[in-house]
Amino acid sequence: MHWTDEDLVTRSRGGDLDSFNQLILRWERPIYALAYRVIGREEDARDVCQETFLRAFRALPGFKGQAKFSSWVYRIALNLCRDWMRRQRRAPTVQIPEGVDPEELATVAGPAESIEDLVSRRELGTIVAEAMALLPEEQRTAIILKEYHGMTFQEIAELQGCPLSTVKTRVYQGLSVLRRHLETTGMAPQLVRRI
Amino acid sequence: MSHVFECGENAALVGYVYDECDPRERQAIDKHVAGCVACAAELASLRSTRESLANWAPPEVGLGFQIVRSTRSLPETRETQPPEGGGSEARSWYARPVPVWTQAVAAALIFAAGATLGVVRGIAPTTEVPGAAPISVVDDAASISDLEALERRLRAEISRIPVATALVDEVAPAASEEQILGRVRTLIEESERRQQRELALRTAQVVRDFDSQRQADLAQIQSSFGQIEGLTGAEVREQRQMLDYLIRVSQQR
Repeated sequence: MHWTDEDLVTRSRGGDLDSFNQLILRWERPIYALAYRVIGREEDARDVCQETFLRAFRALPGFKGQAKFSSWVYRIALNLCRDWMRRQRRAPTVQIPEGVDPEELATVAGPAESIEDLVSRRELGTIVAEAMALLPEEQRTAIILKEYHGMTFQEIAELQGCPLSTVKTRVYQGLSVLRRHLETTGMAPQLVRRI
Repeated sequence: MSHVFECGENAALVGYVYDECDPRERQAIDKHVAGCVACAAELASLRSTRESLANWAPPEVGLGFQIVRSTRSLPETRETQPPEGGGSEARSWYARPVPVWTQAVAAALIFAAGATLGVVRGIAPTTEVPGAAPISVVDDAASISDLEALERRLRAEISRIPVATALVDEVAPAASEEQILGRVRTLIEESERRQQRELALRTAQVVRDFDSQRQADLAQIQSSFGQIEGLTGAEVREQRQMLDYLIRVSQQR
């Protein structure tokens, strides 16, 4: 039988631990992906993901279902990410995949290298991550929630506590910075044709 | 009231790109972009940037977090382990970890019981036997030669002690009651000493036999391993010879 999130929340609040673990199973990957993209570090993203569900479980008696469960845990995760970045006092890091030389990345626009080579070495994702790390936190978070989690502008506005128009502006400004970064690395024009 | 799109309104273009605008606004943007190069270029640029974002994926990791209740009844998360017949609650009592203090108490009890048994059986005599060397405690580290020396010494001491029947024969028929009682006491004491030595002797023998058996078993195991290795080596040699033969035959053809 398929339980909705609301059903599972109700059962969890009644003391059913299995139901809450089902909710974790359902949402741990999106939360981990969110934390990873916001923070940029695999291990810390795992920690944030784990802490998110632990906090959600502890706060479950106070959760009255006024928002969707997913929105609620997203909010917890984003707060934890914000705390993490405040503690680290730094921008998100970019983890370079195995087998990729960081110095090569710096000279990624070398004339001898073709875009096929770059794509084959899985650098494209790293360059995007690099570009995302340059964005202010609000813009980055808005783009991540919109692009990778399929939230509506309204949902993002509620999560970020700002007007809907502000979210759209943040997304637009973020995308513009990303585009400029890709252009400076010589990626953007070719990328459009390649993809 | 529906929003009317104006040229250069980038937030509206973002809504259009993400397909989050009402039909009338969409229609207005479509109409405008058809004639405005700048807005059309902006729209294409936003789309291509979105496409590049698709290449950024988080690494695949094993998560499997679960909330479990700890023994202190506080919730905690842990990563799911591969199922091996349930969690710690399902383990048998003998498989559960034993607290350190319980282990210490158990060790003390075993030591006390062993000491009591030793005193009762007289392995560790509280009084020195005249003319006899104190019996050393035989431990696992004693060698066979040590045990043999101990056995010889004990046999010599036992042979020096006169047997009870001989002592009984020496009792004079006319001896007084006190003398008889003294003799009996002497006999009992000597009998006790004799029993103590015999017990020590038997213990030494058992330890020596056990040690000999252990060494014999070890030798047999080593011999078996050697045989297996020898057999395996022979099989490998046979296979190698067969392979060489096949290679030669194939080369000749």
